Amino acid sequence: MRRLPSKWPRPVWHPPWKNYRVISGHLGWVRSIAFDPGNEWFCTGSADRTIKIWDVGSGQLKLTLTGHIEQVRGLAVSPKFPYMFSAGDDKQVKCWDLEYNKVIRSYHGHLSGVYCLALHPTLDVLLTGGRDSVCRVWDMRTKAQVHALSGHENTVCSVITQATDPQVVTGSHDTTIKLWDLAAGKSMSTLTFHKKSVRALARHPFERSFTSASADNIKKFKLPKGEFLHNMLAQQRAIVNCLAINEENVLVSGGDDGSIWFWDWRSGHNFQQTQTIVQPGSLDSEAGIYAMSYDITGTRLVTCEADKTIKMWKEDEKATPETHPVNFKPPKEIRRF
Amino acid sequence: MSKLSMGAGTQLLSALPAPKQDTSSLYDFSNDPWFRDRVEQSKPPAPKIKQVPPYGKRAGFIPRRVEDFGDGGAFPEIHVAQYPLHMGRKEEKNDAKILPVSVDASGKIAFDAIVKQSENASKTVYSQHLDLVPKLPQDVDMKDEDEEIQETTDRTKAAFEKIVHARVSAAQPKNVPTQSLDASYIKYTPSQQSAAFNSGAKERVIRMVEMPKDPLEPPKFKHKRVPRASGSPPVPVMHSPPRPVTVKDQQDWKIPPCISNWKNPKGYTIPLDKRLAADGRGLQSVQINDNFAKLSEALYVAEQKAREAVEMRSKIQKELITKEKEKREEELRLLAQKARQERAGGGAMNAERAAVAPSADVHMPTARKVEEFDRGVDREEKVRETKEEKEMRLKREAIREERRREREREKRLEAKEGHTGKKSKITRDRDRDISEKVALGMANVGTGEVMYDQRLFNQDQGIQSGFATDDTYNIYDKGLFTTHSAMSSLYRPRKDADTEVYGGADEQLEKVLKTDRFRADKGFAGATERAGPRDRPVEFEKDQDEADPFGLDQFLTEVKKGKKALDKIGTGGTLRASAGSAMKESYEGGSNRSRVEFQRGR
Repeated sequence: MRRLPSKWPRPVWHPPWKNYRVISGHLGWVRSIAFDPGNEWFCTGSADRTIKIWDVGSGQLKLTLTGHIEQVRGLAVSPKFPYMFSAGDDKQVKCWDLEYNKVIRSYHGHLSGVYCLALHPTLDVLLTGGRDSVCRVWDMRTKAQVHALSGHENTVCSVITQATDPQVVTGSHDTTIKLWDLAAGKSMSTLTFHKKSVRALARHPFERSFTSASADNIKKFKLPKGEFLHNMLAQQRAIVNCLAINEENVLVSGGDDGSIWFWDWRSGHNFQQTQTIVQPGSLDSEAGIYAMSYDITGTRLVTCEADKTIKMWKEDEKATPETHPVNFKPPKEIRRF
Repeated sequence: MSKLSMGAGTQLLSALPAPKQDTSSLYDFSNDPWFRDRVEQSKPPAPKIKQVPPYGKRAGFIPRRVEDFGDGGAFPEIHVAQYPLHMGRKEEKNDAKILPVSVDASGKIAFDAIVKQSENASKTVYSQHLDLVPKLPQDVDMKDEDEEIQETTDRTKAAFEKIVHARVSAAQPKNVPTQSLDASYIKYTPSQQSAAFNSGAKERVIRMVEMPKDPLEPPKFKHKRVPRASGSPPVPVMHSPPRPVTVKDQQDWKIPPCISNWKNPKGYTIPLDKRLAADGRGLQSVQINDNFAKLSEALYVAEQKAREAVEMRSKIQKELITKEKEKREEELRLLAQKARQERAGGGAMNAERAAVAPSADVHMPTARKVEEFDRGVDREEKVRETKEEKEMRLKREAIREERRREREREKRLEAKEGHTGKKSKITRDRDRDISEKVALGMANVGTGEVMYDQRLFNQDQGIQSGFATDDTYNIYDKGLFTTHSAMSSLYRPRKDADTEVYGGADEQLEKVLKTDRFRADKGFAGATERAGPRDRPVEFEKDQDEADPFGLDQFLTEVKKGKKALDKIGTGGTLRASAGSAMKESYEGGSNRSRVEFQRGR
């Protein structure tokens, strides 16, 4: 039997991340985030039914958009068109024209709240998943629903897209991950590796793999077949709501209890565990991360939290491998769950 | 039957002339199913029946095939399952639900064939243990080439186009294809070509016209919703079963049933401790802020200070007022004295005394000084002052004394009331304004009784109404204020009482003194009949009845008389209770409550 521990790759050293800015302006939980492809601004959707647009460099509020009547759960900005897409608990999926700051299209068809939204990188197609356990594929221009990817038995809470097959990967509250063939509108594979609902999915920027996060584990899978690679080496014993991956192979997971864990992607080693500090005036139990995203460069992380703030993180410049050594022990026994 | 027909047929056939046409061009009936039953066909020669070994020589013979049985059936002495002519064999069920056990390339049984059947055959299903095992992180191949992306994109886009087009055009029915009543012609070449069909023609032309559809016809078919076909077949679960919940965890997550304070739809009877349990009353200890105590202390101190200030102020004011009063009194006294002196004697002496008198401050010593002066004056001016003047002076002094006593009394009462402000009964209502007294209800207003103006009555009586003048004010019979003060309740004899009605003062005095009211009509029983005052000590007699306390002798002697005097012995003074409806003869009122009647003992 091969001894896995000796062969396990040592993790690369990453500097620790620290919070350098707190933006408070929302009146409810901040539930979703999307970055402008030009890295000038980012938008956040909140439980106070508004979408606010903030400047990346200064953190100032640029614009507030109203129109949803329930929490805004999903946001995406198109790289090709000046459009922003938003989805909410009110079953509405809206397309905003950023030149006029108005809603120009609405995609009607969801039977219940929409929890996640993703844009296809090459096609002009929008994918949304929600409580009706179906992921709907919409043609951007004509507002027609192309496919309803059904097969999940519970809410679809996360969706990622890519240009090659499987073009859509969805994670659901029924603990499965499904890989879909978008042209046919049928599922290609079902991964039942998780024990709890898969609330977050993240695709690696240039590798052919993705991670999925649930309350028990964060797992890595290989595309296109969806083979299970390995678990992350530690268990963040919290409901993980969001994942984000960097070009420097830093994976970050945000939990419902406010814990943010930073991982080295390749080895699965957790090099930093932090806890958000709630803004003054909030209860301690209001610590929770609902969404996070790296900016386009990958040097800044923005987290959207339950204490109605947006926190921005960056790597600590003064840290060195000597001050923050890598405390890595190869896993002796890889527990297989 | 065929033989019969053959018999008849051959004779007939021989009689008929030979056919002109060749039979080979005729239709071949042999394959026709209709004819196959009726016309005898030349069957292939009967199969050669295999010779079965005779009885006794069948050792080692096992019939497996149909021909092994020969002409007969199964061999009972051969203990092998035998199916002659395939009889008795169980039907081979071609059940689609049963998968045959298959073996994969390396010879191991493929147990996951169940999972990979039907729809899952085209999908990737993970069912092996190896799929679960973590793999070493290797360099995963980098992202896809552009060609692949492009190809995928195109393929997907094409697929989408169709779907979107269909949906969009369905949504906008601009081009509804109308019925065209033009005929279309189809050339058809049938496979069966002979002179019998189609009158020998090789092809047919068919004219197709669309059946005219009645535009007002309602739809012919009802579109029923078909329930969705079930999802993809289940996929093996690639994780361990959930860990059993520890007792502590289970208890942590225990949610007690909801006992609402408002609703109880099923009408459950819930004990009180459970009703209050959800309230959380016992869990929170009420925290009182310290500032409450501080506030109350501060208020207390402030109140004390205010009181002291007020008291001091009032004291000072009172002193001032008394000083004023005394000053004024003094002035008045001096004036009066001056007036008297002027009346009595020369003014020169008065001027002297008048000069001396105001120098005194305090009232009492002044009074004494003045009195001394007065007496001195008296002695000096004995001759001048007449008896009347003396009397008047004495009267005045008496009045003065009275007033002084009054003032002292007032001061005492005030002092007693002091700082508490609690006035005693006497002082309480003395200084009240009349409107206040009316508001407090001390006014003796008759409650709702109709009060008539007394002037309405006795208008025509004239002299008979009494000797009252027109302006006698007799509307009210009692005073307005029901004062309970000693002043009003004490009797003060007025000098000018009606002497005509009650007689003069002397007469009344006579009446009071010489009244017979307190003289008994009869003397005490057992006492001597002497009505006058005693002149010698009281005489007692010995009690006669001590020997016989119950008076039995008397009872015996008096029983014949039938006197009921002695029946009363031992009964007097009791209060006997009688209860029950039997006792009660009359039914009073509506209540059936058993009333207890108390009867005095006879």
